Amino acid sequence: MKTRYIQTTETIDEYSHLPLWKTCSKIDLIYIVYGLLVLATVLVSYGLGALNWLPSDPDSMDLENMMVAPLTSGYFLGTDYMGRDLLSRLIIGIQAYFVPGLLSIFISLSLGSIMGILSGYQGGRVESVVEYFSNLIDSFPRLVLILLFIAAFTPNIYIIMIVVGLTTAPVVAGLVRGKILFLKQRNFVESAIAMGLPTYQIILKHILWYNCRSILLIQATLGMAEAILIETSLSYLGFGVQEPVPSWGNMVQSGSNYLMQGNFWPSTAPALAILATVLGFHLLGDGLNNVLERKER
Amino acid sequence: MEHIPLLQIEDLRTYFYSSAKQAFIRSVDGVDLTIEQGSTLGIVGESGSGKSITMLSTMGLISANPGVLTGKVLLNQKGNPVNLLEGLEQYVELEHNSGKILKLSKDNRAWKKQQEKNMATVRGKQISMIFQNPKAAMNPYETIGKQISEMIKLHTEIKDNNSAKEKAISWLERVKIDSPGMRFENYPHGLSGGMCQRAMIAMALSSEPSLLIADEPTTGLDATIQSKIVELLQELQTDLGITTILISHDISVITKLADSVAVMYGGKVLENGPAELVLKANEDASHPYTRALLASIPDLSNVDANGRLPAIPGEVLDTINLTQGCRFYARCEKFTTQCESKCKTQEPPLFRMDGKHHIRCWLFEKG
Repeated sequence: MKTRYIQTTETIDEYSHLPLWKTCSKIDLIYIVYGLLVLATVLVSYGLGALNWLPSDPDSMDLENMMVAPLTSGYFLGTDYMGRDLLSRLIIGIQAYFVPGLLSIFISLSLGSIMGILSGYQGGRVESVVEYFSNLIDSFPRLVLILLFIAAFTPNIYIIMIVVGLTTAPVVAGLVRGKILFLKQRNFVESAIAMGLPTYQIILKHILWYNCRSILLIQATLGMAEAILIETSLSYLGFGVQEPVPSWGNMVQSGSNYLMQGNFWPSTAPALAILATVLGFHLLGDGLNNVLERKER
Repeated sequence: MEHIPLLQIEDLRTYFYSSAKQAFIRSVDGVDLTIEQGSTLGIVGESGSGKSITMLSTMGLISANPGVLTGKVLLNQKGNPVNLLEGLEQYVELEHNSGKILKLSKDNRAWKKQQEKNMATVRGKQISMIFQNPKAAMNPYETIGKQISEMIKLHTEIKDNNSAKEKAISWLERVKIDSPGMRFENYPHGLSGGMCQRAMIAMALSSEPSLLIADEPTTGLDATIQSKIVELLQELQTDLGITTILISHDISVITKLADSVAVMYGGKVLENGPAELVLKANEDASHPYTRALLASIPDLSNVDANGRLPAIPGEVLDTINLTQGCRFYARCEKFTTQCESKCKTQEPPLFRMDGKHHIRCWLFEKG
């Protein structure tokens, strides 16, 4: 006879085997879908720019069609004061922040995780040193630090992004540390040691991969938004990407001179692009945070 | 051939430093325990009597300073007793004089390094542990199936994913989890406390250890689930013949499962011996503390004439300021005028009653 075990008193969460997107709220889903669309657009545009498949050459000046309005003379978004195609320049502008942004994300995530693990897992003296280092970075205004670096070296976007990465590392470190302390208090780490798992496996697989991957993913999306904002604001001020290389920041800046004459599009188009993209990355991070971090409860 | 028990703990001492009180807390203060192959040892005592710390010390899970200090933990490895605290005493300097610590220093880093070396092949492989709160002890972001498979892959011959999964499912079935194939994919938060404890037991047993330490496996579960978990442990014991150390302050659990019992108080074993002798608690062969503990079980036969349940007066011993005499003296109600002077001034040794029954009380001094 086949034995069956029926346990009437023990309940099972009926929803835990459903896929994630079925259990999360609709608004989060909208956030994530919008964020993913923005991400996809950025990726595709970056690819187009890298392959040089553009509507027209972003650097060639069409002197007969300077400052033409959008959707006229064959220019979808119009042209700027030198007769360069705005759409092409917008697409190429992504290159100003995309790879540097990835660099800053990489630096902040890896450095932050290392710092977080050292302070959370090790504790003791290491923790105070990491804490001190984090406070030191946190207490220094970031923009001033970046301007200092620009003054000391050349205005190179990669150097700027390294500084951005370094200065966001304490945020990641704090989150990772909090997660580890939470796990330690739940005696999960202790039981993992008792089960005979090697230390590197506990740290890398169980803590960092299983428990911190959602935090790191969210921080990565927010890091991209941060990178865009820093790059565009510095380029707007003239410290970042220099003309004639297009960047959304210096496009807003060069277009703003003609705003009062009624030619709003050369600065509005990149400004809206910044708005939509930064919003997209933020909403993606927010939605992921709500969906992934709520999963545990 | 000389008979070697599976695990023998000799004079284990674990102290902690309390910076608030500027003093040492002597959580475990010279514990001796012996666990025979295939038997179940129950450790009882009030909260704070050092039960859990003894077992955590055995597993090398004490991280606070100074932690484990001296003693021997001899684990039977294929016939040879191997000391799990081998070579660790050299890192500790301890001087104490009748309860007062004069000097104590410990090289924590070197200690940890050596301990990792000693414990590397023991944890999980030979000794597994079940914790009090199973949900907290599992990775919240990984399915229980994956966690069990990981243990199997780490500690047994099975290395490929598919057969590890099969084995994990068979273990889940063994601990009587309903539809184990489906539960394999569940996260710990998706299971109830009882099912989670079952999964935890499956995980601990999946590495086929020779010793299982269960640290209050039934606390935090409601009464019906508690009895089911006890039944399960009972069944697994008879099926697998696994040696178990069971820590609990629930004496009914101990009565059901244990072959031998050790009663702990204030970091010392006050009484140990076969379960039927210790838990019978007859007047002439039982420690006053054991008697008081047993009398305070909520049971009809224990209620007195006024309809009240007797409680042990006073509080659990503060192990910071140890007096010289018997640890239980302050709360003891059974001492006689003959032994009182001794109870006050001298720590009693373990007196041998009959067979393997030992009692640490001056009442049973022979001669």
